Amino acid sequence: MGAPIEVSGSEAEAQPDAVLAGLERSAIQGRSLGQIAWTRLKRDKVAMASAVFIVLLIIAALPGVTNLLVSWFGSPPDKFHQTLVDPTLGTPYGKFGGVSGHHIFGIEPTNGRDLFARVLYGARVSLIIGVLATLVSVVIGTLLGVAAGFFGGWVDMVIARLMDIFLAFPLIMFAIALSGVLPSSMLGLSGNNLRIAILVFVIGFFAWPYIGRIIRGQTLSLREREFVDAARSMGARNSYILFKELLPNLVAPITVYATLLIPTNILFEAALSFLGVGINPPAPSWGGMLNQATELYSVAPHFVIVPGLAIFVTVLAFNLFGDGLRDALDPRSR
Amino acid sequence: MRSSKVISVAAAGAVVLSLGLSACGGGDDSGDGGGGKAKFDAGSKGIVNASDKKGGTLVMAQPDDFESLDPANIYYAYGSDFFRLYSRTLVTYTSKPGEEGTKPSPDLAQGLGTPSDGNKTWTYKLKPGLKYEDGSVIKAQDIKYAVARTFDRGVLRNGPSYFTQMLEAGDYKGPFKDKNLDHFKGVTTPDDSTVVFHLKAPFSEWDQLVMFSGQTVPVPQAKDTGTQYGMHPFSSGPYKWQADYKMKQGGTLVRNTYWDPKTDPNRKALPDKVVVQSGLSADEIDNREIDGTVQIDLPGTGVQAAARQKILSDPKLKANSDDPLAGFHWYMPINTEIVPNVECRKAIVYATNRDALWRAYGGDVGGEMATSIMPADIQGREKGTDAYTKAQVGYTGDVNAAKQSLAKCGKPNGFAVTMLFRSDRPKEQAAAEAMEQALGRVGIKLTLKGYPHGTYTNEQFGSPAFNKKNNVGLGTYGWAPDWPTGYGYLQAGTDGKAIQETGNVNISMLKDPQIDKMWNDVVKVNDPNQRAQIYNQIDQRVRDLAAIIPTVYAKSLLYRSPKLTNVYVHSGYGMYDYANLGVTS
Amino acid sequence: MPDAVIAFLVRRLLGAVALLIVISLVTYGIFFLLPKLAGVSTDDLAARFAGKAPDATTLEAIKERFGLDKPFFVQYGEFMKTLVTGGDYDTGTSTVHCSAPCLGYSFRTNQAVTPQLLQRAPVTLSIAVGAAVLWLLAGVATGVVSALKKGSIFDRAAMIIALAGVSLPIFFTGLLGLAYVVHAWGILPEVNWTPLSQDPAKWFTSLILPWISLALLYAAMYARLTRAGMLETMNEDFVRTARAKGLRESTVVTKHALRATLTPILTVFGLDFGLLLGGAIITEATFGLPGLGRLALDGVNQSDLPVVVGVTITTALFVVLMNLIVDLLYAVVDPRVRLA
Repeated sequence: MGAPIEVSGSEAEAQPDAVLAGLERSAIQGRSLGQIAWTRLKRDKVAMASAVFIVLLIIAALPGVTNLLVSWFGSPPDKFHQTLVDPTLGTPYGKFGGVSGHHIFGIEPTNGRDLFARVLYGARVSLIIGVLATLVSVVIGTLLGVAAGFFGGWVDMVIARLMDIFLAFPLIMFAIALSGVLPSSMLGLSGNNLRIAILVFVIGFFAWPYIGRIIRGQTLSLREREFVDAARSMGARNSYILFKELLPNLVAPITVYATLLIPTNILFEAALSFLGVGINPPAPSWGGMLNQATELYSVAPHFVIVPGLAIFVTVLAFNLFGDGLRDALDPRSR
Repeated sequence: MRSSKVISVAAAGAVVLSLGLSACGGGDDSGDGGGGKAKFDAGSKGIVNASDKKGGTLVMAQPDDFESLDPANIYYAYGSDFFRLYSRTLVTYTSKPGEEGTKPSPDLAQGLGTPSDGNKTWTYKLKPGLKYEDGSVIKAQDIKYAVARTFDRGVLRNGPSYFTQMLEAGDYKGPFKDKNLDHFKGVTTPDDSTVVFHLKAPFSEWDQLVMFSGQTVPVPQAKDTGTQYGMHPFSSGPYKWQADYKMKQGGTLVRNTYWDPKTDPNRKALPDKVVVQSGLSADEIDNREIDGTVQIDLPGTGVQAAARQKILSDPKLKANSDDPLAGFHWYMPINTEIVPNVECRKAIVYATNRDALWRAYGGDVGGEMATSIMPADIQGREKGTDAYTKAQVGYTGDVNAAKQSLAKCGKPNGFAVTMLFRSDRPKEQAAAEAMEQALGRVGIKLTLKGYPHGTYTNEQFGSPAFNKKNNVGLGTYGWAPDWPTGYGYLQAGTDGKAIQETGNVNISMLKDPQIDKMWNDVVKVNDPNQRAQIYNQIDQRVRDLAAIIPTVYAKSLLYRSPKLTNVYVHSGYGMYDYANLGVTS
Repeated sequence: MPDAVIAFLVRRLLGAVALLIVISLVTYGIFFLLPKLAGVSTDDLAARFAGKAPDATTLEAIKERFGLDKPFFVQYGEFMKTLVTGGDYDTGTSTVHCSAPCLGYSFRTNQAVTPQLLQRAPVTLSIAVGAAVLWLLAGVATGVVSALKKGSIFDRAAMIIALAGVSLPIFFTGLLGLAYVVHAWGILPEVNWTPLSQDPAKWFTSLILPWISLALLYAAMYARLTRAGMLETMNEDFVRTARAKGLRESTVVTKHALRATLTPILTVFGLDFGLLLGGAIITEATFGLPGLGRLALDGVNQSDLPVVVGVTITTALFVVLMNLIVDLLYAVVDPRVRLA
């Protein structure tokens, strides 16, 4: 376990078997897993609050909504307000980083851009990358995990070793090297769209073993279950067993761990941006803002706090929700 | 190139050799100083705490490390400033504040070089009685060997390549591959105390070249250890290394008793010991400077944000600080191949928000609005007249003029190009963002792209092929001269002949016949004043062509420890003169 | 030593060697191929190791010296040969022998890589060990108490705080700590590397902030793991048996349940700690500490291939070693496990 170095972010793998156990029990009770989970989830106030926050954040990050919010509470994210900044020190005039009715989160040092707008636009980048990268990991991880668990033998050995190698690598270095050298346009993409695509690929590609290991384990134990045996003894083909018996039963754990991987990936993206290989300016990103803040943390701490809190709250919300989701599927851990 | 901390590191990293000139002139030539009791910026104008008192330990610190301690392998100003503590060259900078400091002064040589054969041969005579740290005599042959070894660019690759390019040496490959020194014809030694350089073509500023480069520091062949020489260079100066230098840790210099002060008017060598601490955090260095346990921040590029605020808001601390010009001009080349129409380039200059750029580079403490391309005290440099812009605080650009130029260019709705900046330099990012905003007002759409400084000047902005492929129209840049004349500053960046495939400095891709002709003529002119006139014409022509946007002459806020004596900003290095500092205990 | 143990060790060692070979090959391959894919010429590559505005002669000389024009397998082959049998390094004036395991010489500083790794290792080791002690103590203790008081306020609060912990990026907590604890309030001194041997007090105080920031991130994860593990083992037969025998609850918890719980935690710890020993990149970048992570990061930024490969192999070695140690410890900690 662990995750990409020091970017931990979730305890995604804490109890792979537990979810399965919950799943098993629900089958006995005869109600659909979804219904039971939903009932349990509804009772979990923390998880529900997190879900509401996530939904609100997603809505706020929609282009039209962001523009509207920014026009109410801030000013466009790239607009300079240098008259509000002390030219000698580069710090905003006024308290708390220049907080005012026009700039509710204050303004950036030097350029004086509105932090509320930049944090909100940054949310879009973080969410898109976090979610898409997770999708990439889930697809690769599920394919390889199921293949390893289902076919066993040398397939399993090769894939397991592959995962070992990924886990023993200082991945962040490779991610840096990779995102640093790729060309400025390819596959019909250019500018920040390409940058986002690259980040999605790099992060998703490096995070797949975490999903892969879990799915492999789940597949291994499912393979030995009675209902698979039954299907096999009735002459079902491999593809039937895979798609009709295994995958439907893997949906629950995949959902849980995907939810828990999103925050990890958001943190990974922030870390890469912090190290200077994120998206291109002037487009805002949370990690990129912290990168700029490293030089100024002592004179403009609000420039650390605002984007840092945005990362923290978002990641926490995803973690709390994912946690609740798992508990809903696995009553034992409560 | 020096690896910089991911965190912090003032934008004025030592990427390009700095050779700054003291700002406001006013230097005190008398040498005994403005005697200035601590006053803000007093060290930029004259000597503070002038003293001849010997003794004490001078502690210098740096966050990273020298590119090398081998003087032949050093290109950055702070390294050149520092190596004078243990190394002597044929000619060095004059150790005086103000403009005097930019002039060559004989060091190992008895006098400046004697040109003959129409500036193609330069002869130097060594002073008598010069000795190494073991008491052996410094011979002309050691200087010949020192120059010869720089011809092996695989072993010594960081230093300047003027000697390999300009000396008449055939295809000589250096003494590591070809042990017979007689095969090296670029330098001859008629006797033990005469060094003669043989050039391929006339060159009028040879003394300046010898002055700035560490490649004439004598190296006895028997003491050379090739790539490892930088760990323990053999001393010819007032101090010697006590033990091997340890990268990212440091080392200690102690007195070289064989150094004779009578042969050396340029070094006072006051402390008994000089300690170098490497690998400290930049903020920690600032703190230790202020509490007095460190006296010099070696890179000389100024304090970090935290210390800057502390110093500027405390009158007592402020009195103990200087804010000299650092020698750099942060300017922005416009690529004349990507934006071939001069009207389109003029539109860029007109639309540029000079106030925002000045703020991006740190406001009044960070720099001065630039007018000419050559920075302030390049010998004979004129301020020049603004072309299509105004060097004024508060000037945000002329949108109407920009639109008119765009119309004349045939692109009334603007155009789109890429702008580059160094991603690990927050100030350059802020400058690029300011350009994106300002040019956006007239429809010129900039796509910003950052690259780390380690590859920026060679592989991206310094590669014409890269710029062409990526439609790079402009970018942030900084340049300081190798030596403080118009040639040392402008030639690499504006001469059509100077265009290179990698590490190109003429990023504007200027191939202007007028400018090229002036460059061809100027190397034959022997009168410095006449040369300066030509340099000024070139400078004006480049701005008329809107090939470079003058931006900001960099300043660095230096803390001047009250424990330091005999301290002044040396115009040749754009930082304190490390060879003449003293320290009180 | 019983045969089973020896066989186990041999098998694991062979596996470890194979893993190291693959990892070095992949690292070498990535850093060799990436620039090619991105259209970086060997001239560009050579220019990375030259001074300002290098001329063509300089670039040629550098290419020749580092063998940048040689095909991939020749370069990799030479690297492996030097690693295993040692090698000779040409300083220009003489030849220096670098005995195995020789990781070559930095393109940048001309210094042998192995001593550089050894010089940086104490920094990373100090960060990792200090943080690990903190997070293990805090994490396991919280986890145990949470499990024992399952469902209590403490349990719920602890688990939410734990989740908050894993949600805090170190470059946020780190910078915040620097801004307030160091600069604004002056409670702790500037974070700056001081060797333990030189000044233990300074070493300790200047590392407190990195330790806490890093431990915060991991402690949370370990608390949750411990809690889950404890809950599971408390229901297992051997614990019930122990209880049935009338042992005191504290004995049951520490002697039986906790030991069993520690097994999976050790696995995780082995990997985490191993990776951390190979360089706490973000921590070191945030605090400007000169450890292996910074060395690697600088190496990547400066295309200093020998340094990058050196750190990567070292990291992988640490991970493999830690895993081995963990497997051996299993037998000690958990009576149910046998080496097989």
